[in-house]
Amino acid sequence: MSDTHAPKLSYQPALPIPNGKTCLWLFLSTEILFFAGLIGTYIVLRFGAVAWPAPHDVLLSEPLGAFNTFVLICSSVTVVLGFEAAKLNQASKAKGYILLTFLLGCVFLGVKMFEYSHKFEHGIYPVKPHGMLYDKADIYYSGAVRKRLNDLRTQITLAGPEISKENKVRLEIIDQVTRKVDEAETAVRNQPDSPDGIIKLTELAYEIYPPHDQGTVIQAAEAGAIPPAIVVKYAALERPAGEQAIGGGEEHEGYNEKYSWLRLPIMIPGGPMWASTYFLLTGFHAVHVIVGLIVFGLMLFTTLDRSRANLVENVGLYWHFVDLVWIFLFPLLYLF
Amino acid sequence: MSDRDQHTEVGHDSHDHADHGGNGKYLLVFAALCILTMGSFLTYFPFWRAHVPYQASRALMMAISCTKAMLVIMFFMHLMWEANWKWVLTIPATFMSVFLMLMLVPDVGWRINNGYARYSEERWVYAADPPKVEASDMKAAEKDLLRKGAN
Repeated sequence: MSDTHAPKLSYQPALPIPNGKTCLWLFLSTEILFFAGLIGTYIVLRFGAVAWPAPHDVLLSEPLGAFNTFVLICSSVTVVLGFEAAKLNQASKAKGYILLTFLLGCVFLGVKMFEYSHKFEHGIYPVKPHGMLYDKADIYYSGAVRKRLNDLRTQITLAGPEISKENKVRLEIIDQVTRKVDEAETAVRNQPDSPDGIIKLTELAYEIYPPHDQGTVIQAAEAGAIPPAIVVKYAALERPAGEQAIGGGEEHEGYNEKYSWLRLPIMIPGGPMWASTYFLLTGFHAVHVIVGLIVFGLMLFTTLDRSRANLVENVGLYWHFVDLVWIFLFPLLYLF
Repeated sequence: MSDRDQHTEVGHDSHDHADHGGNGKYLLVFAALCILTMGSFLTYFPFWRAHVPYQASRALMMAISCTKAMLVIMFFMHLMWEANWKWVLTIPATFMSVFLMLMLVPDVGWRINNGYARYSEERWVYAADPPKVEASDMKAAEKDLLRKGAN
């Protein structure tokens, strides 16, 4: 046997791909772990939670989520088409696709911002003092409602000695709610062993912010977050599937919905935990989208010919990963 | 230096040879992704919710998400046409992710489907404000609810 047939052993100094791509894939593998941790924790918290709000309780819109999914899928296609164009040295075509990707990313963020602001307006926010979410209607909740009512009353009386017609109406509504708080708190104080007080507090909480889904009312009652007597009351309000949910009808409009200036604290069993996980997951995803948009924005000032194909590929890989994360977030957050 | 250039070249070459059907395949994958998304979104409609148990819906949604993820990884991220280096970077990360999830599962299993209230005995015992609900009260409330639902 001659030596010429012996295998020629030599070390391979690098992967057979550009160094930038190797680094990006290494980065993506850490990102996989990062989001796996976040999503895994969400799953533990969500399925281990005593109660969890229905999407409509926390103003989640499934069609908006689906629309955003569609937008991200489109942007994934445009970025991959941009890469193909750059490989073929079609710089202007590649730039057009990158511009399109940039715009689609902006649409995604715009929709996300709209969703966030809609929730913030209603006091659905992860932390106090902006957050007005309470897990159950207990004395801490009624205390917060009373504080808000007192603040509103002070605002009106401090405005001047002459109270306008509008403010008179407001004062009447404030007094009306205050009477209900008084009644419930008195019941809690006088009969601490009877569920009547808690039932009254829960009824007050649902008058302020009615539940949107019967299933979550039953779940909350099973978990002890609300008294079971409430279940029967709100079951009667349920309409057949396909029609408006409990809170949708005129007669079941909550105080907060009827009088937007009230902004009273709201009770959603599991709401605070939901807010923490939702804003954390979507927030981190949105940060990734923003980073992608910055890079796409910078790329618009360069010539995306064959020499830049590697750059387009790397940024594209990152963008596909961002899309990938949303593919899992959408059903988990909106549809589960 | 020349080594690196050579390898970079190899990288380019693998792409240039990797045109399996041009841009048409991307549009096909795009169509598949849209249809799959619609599949998940179907579970939102009351008609679906009335006829399919939520466990089945959730399993379907996760299956669809995994399929979509594979389509994106295989085609858009080109892993289908990459050389064997792809396994070095993707398999450990995937294993670690799965491991991480599995480590969390006992906690999930511990907490849910644990008797009537769907959370553990410990949480009942050590709850800050133990609910004073008799099981018979709950049963009565549920029966009442079903009766009203039937009307």
